[in-house]
Amino acid sequence: MVVLVAAAMLMAGAAARGQNVKLPPHEKVVLPNGLTVLLLEKHSVPMVNITGIVKTGSMADPVGMEGLASTTAGLLRKGTKGRTAQQFSEVIDFIGGSFGADAGADYSSFSAEFLSKDTDKGLDLVADALLHPTFPQAEVDKLLAQSVDGVKAEKDSARDVIFDYYQAYLYGGKGYGRPTGGDEVSLKKIQRPEIVKFYETYYTPGNTILAVAGDFKTEEMKKKLEAVFGGWSGKAAPAVKTEAAGAVKGKRLLLVDKSDATQTYFAIGNVGISATDPDRTAVQVVNSVFGSRFTSMLNEALRVESGLTYGATSFFSMEKEPGPFAMFSFTRNETTEKAIDMALEVLKKLHTDGVSAEQLSSAKSYMKGQFPPSIETSGQLARVIARHEFYGLGDDEVNERDKRIDAVTRETAKRVIAKDFPLDNLVFVLIGKAADIAPSVKKFAEKQDAKEIAAPGFWGSGQ
Amino acid sequence: MKMNWKRSAQWVVLVALVVCAGMAQAQEYPVATKTLKNGMKILVQPDPSIPNVALYTFYRIGSRNERPGTTGLSHFFEHIMFNGAKKYGPGDLDKVMEANGGSNNAYTTRNVTVYQDWFPRSALELIFDIEADRIQNLSFDPKKIESERGVVASERRSSVDGENEGVLSEQLWATAFIAHPYQWPVVGWMSDIEHWTMADLKHHFEMGYSPSNATMVVVGDVTPEEVFGLAEKYLEPIPSHAPPPPVTTVEPEQEGERRLVVHKAAELPLLMIAYHVPRTDNADFYALNVLRSILFQGESSRMYQRLVDKDQIALDVESEEELAFDPTLLVLYAQPKEGVDPAKCEKEIYEELERVANAPVSDQELEKAKNFRLAEFYRQVQTISGRANTIGSYEVFFGDYRKLFDAAKNYSGVTKEDVQRAAKKYFGANNRTVATLLPENEGKGKP
Repeated sequence: MVVLVAAAMLMAGAAARGQNVKLPPHEKVVLPNGLTVLLLEKHSVPMVNITGIVKTGSMADPVGMEGLASTTAGLLRKGTKGRTAQQFSEVIDFIGGSFGADAGADYSSFSAEFLSKDTDKGLDLVADALLHPTFPQAEVDKLLAQSVDGVKAEKDSARDVIFDYYQAYLYGGKGYGRPTGGDEVSLKKIQRPEIVKFYETYYTPGNTILAVAGDFKTEEMKKKLEAVFGGWSGKAAPAVKTEAAGAVKGKRLLLVDKSDATQTYFAIGNVGISATDPDRTAVQVVNSVFGSRFTSMLNEALRVESGLTYGATSFFSMEKEPGPFAMFSFTRNETTEKAIDMALEVLKKLHTDGVSAEQLSSAKSYMKGQFPPSIETSGQLARVIARHEFYGLGDDEVNERDKRIDAVTRETAKRVIAKDFPLDNLVFVLIGKAADIAPSVKKFAEKQDAKEIAAPGFWGSGQ
Repeated sequence: MKMNWKRSAQWVVLVALVVCAGMAQAQEYPVATKTLKNGMKILVQPDPSIPNVALYTFYRIGSRNERPGTTGLSHFFEHIMFNGAKKYGPGDLDKVMEANGGSNNAYTTRNVTVYQDWFPRSALELIFDIEADRIQNLSFDPKKIESERGVVASERRSSVDGENEGVLSEQLWATAFIAHPYQWPVVGWMSDIEHWTMADLKHHFEMGYSPSNATMVVVGDVTPEEVFGLAEKYLEPIPSHAPPPPVTTVEPEQEGERRLVVHKAAELPLLMIAYHVPRTDNADFYALNVLRSILFQGESSRMYQRLVDKDQIALDVESEEELAFDPTLLVLYAQPKEGVDPAKCEKEIYEELERVANAPVSDQELEKAKNFRLAEFYRQVQTISGRANTIGSYEVFFGDYRKLFDAAKNYSGVTKEDVQRAAKKYFGANNRTVATLLPENEGKGKP
């Protein structure tokens, strides 16, 4: 024990003490078939993570058939040329590994993890799912039925669905307003031929990024990947256009009735910024002051000072096109109006007072201090480099992060508050007991819409 | 999008498995230990791979140390421990910590209250100053307490009352235990949240927050010497006092099935089945975990294959067991599909439990369960934060952090016979409590 401790101390002494963490060295290779491979060695635990991005997501779902990309991803492990769904599970479970896949708006993705001693088996499983899925009819039916019930189960929890409703209402049911996982109606329209077509069109080597991180030797892993994925072929995938949406003008409010609710959940905001917005760092620094940490203005007001809620927060979801910005909280039925009033006052205060030197300095320290644990594991690192590759962001996104944060001034903050934090144009979505709260929330918007939580979907009927 | 707030809702879910299995090949992490003169134990595991530190303080006090009328007090402290002391007044703790790049959270279980700090190594001394201040000089400002009462009520409404699983689980524990304090919810009954008094609070703090009742685990870019030095400076001078009185109530053996039904507006029904099992530190712990893996872990597990995949009557099946100082519950959970009678899920679960009790599992299944546990071990220790929690959990619940490294041996020693014996011993009908939530939709009236 003593010897081990001494050795560890030497290591600590040699390590860099500055915060400013950098991405570990990694390599990018494009195979002759167009597949982009990223390799990052990390030997802290004997595991390997493979994160894949197929550069097409639910934006390619036909209108009315939302959930197609997500269903296609979910079926990758449910039957391949060499294995039934059950056999696939048996093998991945036997090595203590994991394999999961899903689709977001911009892209489809999967993540697999296994012990490094099982690398060959793990790669074989990933290749099997990615290159040779057969989409057996029975598995298609099973997954679709589960997904429909999954939507219903989620609706039993307001906090699980508030952002589905918010996004649908904010984008008017178009673009990012279409549910990536589908809804009770759209999922029922999906048939096997569309799934096969989606797979054949978009799951091609030229449309795919594989990020491999963990306990391996780069040169050896490269050879293995070439052997396993080098023979994969496919036509170039067509580009999918995402309908970009401008900010909503005016004020509108959707009240989703959940008759047994004892609290109201609410999201308020507008269309925000994209993942490559030149002001993204400044916006995040301001949002840290405003709503994304415990001592933020929003949480201070709604939780710490008034005890109205367990938490109040705000976020920007940054994607290829401008994603949503929202303030979010929940409170008792009786205090709904008061809590929303307060959230709006805090937003107004941000616009009138800006951020103080003290707030700015604290937000910067916080963002820098909390960052290293977000790139600590192989899985996190694989996701980060794959995402950067997809959005065309460089390593500077991490390596220069501290510098970019430090460069944000009160003047920059003032500018992005005026530009990227909405004030007069706002979309409100509330899930709560309409009978109790409807009269008190009328004042928030000229345009009012209503929906029953049990009604299918997150959009339409009554809007 | 899930909320990720501090003082968060972790008391609801709780550790399917905080503890894990190091297997034969599992690597050891060097840990240096020191017990301060006041009885507080410090464990340090240096790791400079990121310039950050995870500091976890485990207090051996949870809802098992409460009584009717004060249920939820342990969890309430998880809140007011952040609301001001002598040096760092109301709101200062969070402000100072965040301004120095740190963040914090805490979680409460039936057994322990755990405080978590995550920060850049430059904030190490500050964190010791903060921790010492609040253990020693916590303030009981009536105004802050009233405001925080509202926060906890909101937390309860959100995480219990607003979630079918929260509602049903609370009723299940209240029914499975008739004598032992595990019967009440960690967050507390709403009427207790509304009524506990200043005297209750002060008594609870006096009972639970002696340095001798705490274990601190520090993992990250630190050396044992600097941590021990700071502990001597800031924590050692704090006087110790009596720990919580022992919980002497023993739950009488359950001698027949108990059932309960919750009628509630809901889209889908829900089913939970609980079996009494021994405390964490007992010989059957490893066999039970292997058994749970075989039944529930992964899509090739017996329950998933049967209920979700083959018969398609459930969306999800899971099992859960908390780390516990006293005999506790192993809880099975099934989310039936729409239109499926939960009784049908219940019947199939019993059939699978009988099958595993009546015939030995295969070599392949046993091996798979062990591999699962090994991979899980690495997943838990790959972050400084996961390692702090795992080391602390072993130290507190098994009495010695080194048991973490023995888990290897203990899991590989589990035989098919052990698994079958455990299934027979614990999965009897007389030992179970069955809770069902049935959707009650408007207009249909009460049954």
